[in-house]
Amino acid sequence: MACDLTIMTTLNLKNLSCHFDDVVAVDGIDLDVGDRELVSLLGPSGCGKTTTLRCIAGFESPDGGDILFDKASVIGLPPEKRDLGMVFQNYALFPHMTVSGNLAYGLQMRKTPQQEIDRRIGETLEIVQLAGLDDRYPNQLSGGQQQRVALARALIIEPRVLLLDEPLANLDAKLREEMRFFIRNLQKDLGITTIYVTHDQAEAMVMSDRIVVMFNGRIHQIGKPAEIYNFPATQEIADFIGLSNFIVCTVTGRGDNDQYIVDTPAGTLRSTTNANHTVSSKVIMMVRPEVITLHTGSVPGEYNEVEGVVMEKYYLGSAITYRIRYADEGVLQVQGQPWSEFEVGDPIWCRFDVERSWILPSESN
Amino acid sequence: MPRSRLTLLLLIPTLALLGAFLLLPYLNMVVMSFRTPSTSAVFAPGFTTANYLNALLDPDFYYLEILWDTMVLGFWTTLVSLILGFPLAYHLARTQSRLKTLLYFFILSPLLVGVVIRCYGWMIILGPHNGLINTTLKQLNLIENSLPLMFNTFGVSVGLIHVFLPFMILPLLGSIQAVDPALEEASQSLGASRLRTMIKVIVPLSLPGIQAGSILVFVLTISSFVIPILLGSYKVMIMPTLVVQQIMDAMLWPFGAALAFILSITGGFVIYIYLKLTSRLVPSSQ
Repeated sequence: MACDLTIMTTLNLKNLSCHFDDVVAVDGIDLDVGDRELVSLLGPSGCGKTTTLRCIAGFESPDGGDILFDKASVIGLPPEKRDLGMVFQNYALFPHMTVSGNLAYGLQMRKTPQQEIDRRIGETLEIVQLAGLDDRYPNQLSGGQQQRVALARALIIEPRVLLLDEPLANLDAKLREEMRFFIRNLQKDLGITTIYVTHDQAEAMVMSDRIVVMFNGRIHQIGKPAEIYNFPATQEIADFIGLSNFIVCTVTGRGDNDQYIVDTPAGTLRSTTNANHTVSSKVIMMVRPEVITLHTGSVPGEYNEVEGVVMEKYYLGSAITYRIRYADEGVLQVQGQPWSEFEVGDPIWCRFDVERSWILPSESN
Repeated sequence: MPRSRLTLLLLIPTLALLGAFLLLPYLNMVVMSFRTPSTSAVFAPGFTTANYLNALLDPDFYYLEILWDTMVLGFWTTLVSLILGFPLAYHLARTQSRLKTLLYFFILSPLLVGVVIRCYGWMIILGPHNGLINTTLKQLNLIENSLPLMFNTFGVSVGLIHVFLPFMILPLLGSIQAVDPALEEASQSLGASRLRTMIKVIVPLSLPGIQAGSILVFVLTISSFVIPILLGSYKVMIMPTLVVQQIMDAMLWPFGAALAFILSITGGFVIYIYLKLTSRLVPSSQ
């Protein structure tokens, strides 16, 4: 597919709001998507991510705010005038048309000459690795093939913005994983500005330049996948994305390099954060299971240590999950190496970096 | 007892009913249409093809013209029902309104009133002398002479479309509901306006409903009797009125039976052609 490198597309949402009857679906969100960027809208069902996408596509009318494509408002433009490519969760392929027919549809609407249509269908099918399936009907294709036809149909019109609404949700796990890489590579090659809606945090991690975490119609955090994962803004986000251990603690003082000294049931630990917390305020420390290493003894050093006992052990193949009891009540989940040989009942020391001990505001505040 | 036998057992009452009251009378009529007419009895002894030949080879084309008029009436009634019914069915299929049940009721309402009462209602509205429309227009000095709204094809069509519309809408409703709304959105996202989407996506995909509704309305129209009589008097002559005239008034049972079969066969042929033509519009993926 010819990709015109001079085309720039940016997308801006300004204080966008949308409600249905008395339910507020999108509650005043701001978002700037840069040229060639893939931004995921991530959140649980009902968080407003799909409604946001549908507002961008023009299928819902926002109550307030603005949507800008290349600095020009598209509010009031019907979907067919927005020049978008959209991939639907159930693919929405036209069942009465062949693969070629589905791909030609958008070009026919643009009055593209038939010769050009044929050429681009060939090229696009090549790109999505479906060459030779031109004459098949959607019901003669596998789920993965249908998904790629849907993608091809959206891309062939060379849209300004590509919108993907949980496009992988209906595929089986293995295919879903393959398609993540496939779509991401395609998006990078074509350099197309993309909004990706998903509730699958792993999918968002793999595919996105930036992730927008949404809850209850509001944006809670925007950041690169690693930022969102390592430095979540709230406990809700940390809990939604990946597995976390949460340790309730109290700030007792400041250490070096923006570190905080906190008092926990497991003793005094150090931690990092980007927020300001006053001494004696209640906070939550987040430690990911994979940053904790297990040791048979304590070695003093520049890291946090928690003493405990192996309570449960689960073999996963690629790792072993240990559940460690500390300070009578607390439980730490640890992702151990698959060759580690700790047994239930072993006394153990959990060690983790201070930089990986992230402090979050306590939700009860 | 095996399941298939049980199913067969359950079918027996229906089959018996259809056999005794549909199939046998039909066969009787086939035989009747080949009998020799008689002026003193229902029929005379012996068999003949004269009844068919008389109808088809009439030098004035009197019967063939009536047959043609019947088909034309069927065509227009079906087409107008489809044009009126499709938007209604589409709206009903897609609406989220709480008044949906009420809409259903309105659509079925023509069927809730007896045919005679419904026709007299139309007479009050369409009547040439005291009809609501004509008197109103006259009092507003918009017209001098009554508009011919009744006792013609127009009046008959109005009465037919009114009562047959539900038979068009219900099959349409079913097949439009089966069309995934996401397909409409996909079409729009690819640059098609709502009208193009309707023509390129919704109409082709609801073709089974269009076919079913059209056939129902067409068959009901070309076999309608009461409405053409009441709203058309005998000025609108179509095959059913002709058949009844021949059998009941002229007592020409064999000839009436032959006319009835000419109507049935022609109707069946028209439907066959219609299905052939429309099925080609949508390539089957099976």
